[in-house]
Amino acid sequence: MDQGNTAFVLISAALVLLMTPGLAFFYGGMVKAKSVVSMMMLSFGSLGLIAVLWVLYGYAIAFANGGAETFIGIDGWFGIDTSFLGLEAQVADAAAPAGAFPSMAFVAFQATFAIITVALISGAIADRAKFGAWMVFAGIWATVVYFPVANWVFNFTLEDGKVVDGGWIVYGLGVIDFAGGTAVHINAGAAGLALAIVLGKRFGFSKGITQPHNVPLTLLGVALLWFGWFGFNSGSELAADGIASIAFINTLAAPAAAMLGWIIIEKIKHGKATSIGAGSGAIAGLVAVTPACASLDPIYAILLGLVAGALCALAVDLKFSMGFDDSLDVVGIHLVGGIVGTLWIGIFGNGVGAAFGFGWHQFAMQALGAIAVLVYSFVISLIIGFAIEKTMGFRVKAEDEIAGIDTVVHGEEAYAFGADRG
Amino acid sequence: MLHQNTTMFLILCSALVLFMTPGLAFFYGGLVRASSVVSMMMMSFGSIALIGVMWVVFGYAISFSNAGSGTFVGIDGFFGIDLQRLFLGTEIDLAKSGDGFGLAFAGFQGTFAIITVALISGAIADRAKFGSWMIFAGIWAFLVYFPVASWIFNFTVEDGKVVDGGWLVYNIGVMDFAGGTVVEIASGASALALALVLGKRFGFTKGMHAPHNVPLTIIGAAILWFGWFGFNAGSQLAADGIASLAFVNTLAAPVGAMLSWIAYEKIAHGKPTSIGAASGAVAGLVAITPSCAYLEPVWALVLGVVVGVVCALAIELKFVFGFDDSLDVVGIHLVGGIVGTLFIGLFGTNVGLFLGFGPEQLGKQFVGALVVLVYAFSISFAIGWAIQKTIGFRVTSTDEIAGVDKVLHGETAYSEADPRWTWKG
Repeated sequence: MDQGNTAFVLISAALVLLMTPGLAFFYGGMVKAKSVVSMMMLSFGSLGLIAVLWVLYGYAIAFANGGAETFIGIDGWFGIDTSFLGLEAQVADAAAPAGAFPSMAFVAFQATFAIITVALISGAIADRAKFGAWMVFAGIWATVVYFPVANWVFNFTLEDGKVVDGGWIVYGLGVIDFAGGTAVHINAGAAGLALAIVLGKRFGFSKGITQPHNVPLTLLGVALLWFGWFGFNSGSELAADGIASIAFINTLAAPAAAMLGWIIIEKIKHGKATSIGAGSGAIAGLVAVTPACASLDPIYAILLGLVAGALCALAVDLKFSMGFDDSLDVVGIHLVGGIVGTLWIGIFGNGVGAAFGFGWHQFAMQALGAIAVLVYSFVISLIIGFAIEKTMGFRVKAEDEIAGIDTVVHGEEAYAFGADRG
Repeated sequence: MLHQNTTMFLILCSALVLFMTPGLAFFYGGLVRASSVVSMMMMSFGSIALIGVMWVVFGYAISFSNAGSGTFVGIDGFFGIDLQRLFLGTEIDLAKSGDGFGLAFAGFQGTFAIITVALISGAIADRAKFGSWMIFAGIWAFLVYFPVASWIFNFTVEDGKVVDGGWLVYNIGVMDFAGGTVVEIASGASALALALVLGKRFGFTKGMHAPHNVPLTIIGAAILWFGWFGFNAGSQLAADGIASLAFVNTLAAPVGAMLSWIAYEKIAHGKPTSIGAASGAVAGLVAITPSCAYLEPVWALVLGVVVGVVCALAIELKFVFGFDDSLDVVGIHLVGGIVGTLFIGLFGTNVGLFLGFGPEQLGKQFVGALVVLVYAFSISFAIGWAIQKTIGFRVTSTDEIAGVDKVLHGETAYSEADPRWTWKG
């Protein structure tokens, strides 16, 4: 066991965990002052519920060992390793770790991925979702979408730098997705689209329906997300080495360029560069570089960032032209950015990119992987969301939505400044 | 370089734990009214400053004195000081010779001392003089934290057994991995003492003030949680399997507590609140602090679920008994710390009563919790009372009603010219 790498994985896990509160602030600042509590609780609710599921059975599904006798299911598709339930096998390993680092450290690191993926979806249903219905959705979605998809993408065995066994996307198709462009971003983005359709548009949905109520809170969220994303991307190497360092630099380069790309588009289209645009651009770049951070030279990460920033700045207007209320742009940023980043590997990826004479095979595989996750997540999310809407109801009543859901759903108001002025 | 990996781990964990005290300032700050958030934050930042200095000068020399050395003065295992460790002398010499572990450890433990003191301030929101608080903080750290830390955290391990050390950890055999007693119970008991000394705020009733800034409190909870990974996993002093277990439990217990707290709120009051979710997470973090290395994650979940409900009930005690523990240091840190410390005796791996190992460890845990509670409470009460009777601890009633920020610090947290801050006006 290597203490240096174990420390690296643990510290990275702490960084990634901070991303979910960061997301809560990023989303929370953008909604109106009367629904910021609800917005934050959608993220914190995910944090609570998904971590519990992860310990009980999530890890046992996502990282099931298809070759083990305790495995039940179809190897590489869907199954569960019963010896991992309640982390029994990982507890045993913690006393005397057999691998390069304790499997318990990996449990922690991957838990934070499951948590934030679920939380990401909530941006699509701002201002109008019932908390209880969201929690039911989150639990079912994690179980039937995230845990198996994580298995398809993240669960594999390496020998001599080659994937020799694992989930069908990473092993069967050979998709390269270093830190979760498919399993995290396309997955969450497609689910966000499905829920935006299920819940329908907010009252008065049109461009500029609400101004962000607290811009500094949103930028604080961006900062925490970016900070945590270094753990997300370079931590995915699971070792503090050269590849982790490349991933780190690319996690700086791409979002920086995307931030510029986004505010340049804004300047051209609307005349002014906004701070929300800068924040959104950084996130778009972080999303796009997530799958690609280990496969690109930094110069191509910058290029990716510029492209993703500009594309996402245009994509966030889709909801107005097509009429779905993806309130905080989960589709425009995470789905679109995730697709761009995943496909980018097929063009400019080291050793595989078409631009470097390696043909279009990898690009095709990347496209297949992206489409598979997109379709699977969208369809299942639509079904779960629709079932919840038709039974317990997913959306609050019209008058509650107009009054602001914080007091109705949580009995709280976010701010009490004036009352104290005397 | 000796111990490079463990030193790296400890340095990073120290940074995480130090970040917790600003996190606490925001957690507490958001909960008070808009006219006392500056004062609330300054009590935490004041602790960082004062305790940080004292730690370097003589705190570490008290808490981690080596009774076997020729430079030790005092009673072995109870109270003493290692003169050679003043100004971190021994550790600096070692670091210069190529082994930074000891100095990293001193830094790591310094952050524990800082946050323990800052935790107490939640009990005296809206009404404490800053200068009096600083005097209390300094005397308290000297008389309570530094020695109690040596009772619990200062020990020598050989072959997995404690062979020498502070009287609670060595003579009694208390198991407290990251400070359920010395951090949580000590600060909670002292908070109770100060709440009694300072008395109730004017108009003290249930719901007397709505939190003025919920997002700020949630920011604080998030930073606390983030730092707590360093607090608990770092306490293994090595990045290994046990540190990983402690890390996972530092996720499992607070999420269990968060869910059970808001479930309780939903059942008892009809609505789950974000302040409840944040308080639940902190309660779970408190309870898992002593036990994070001794529980399997499933039992950590159970501990979280239990402590979430217990603390949600415990914060009502102040209204029943009439002490103004303003931000629930007693209800969360004292009660949560006791639950977590005792839980080891029930479900701890290889020691738990319910796992078939008899009641012996439970008894030891009980003694440890009780000793720290009584010691911290009595000394704190004496210090607080002495300060109140001499220079005064509480601001005048007019200042309290006007809001302490302007009076004590000459600042207002939010500019009144900004119409945005008058939503509720």
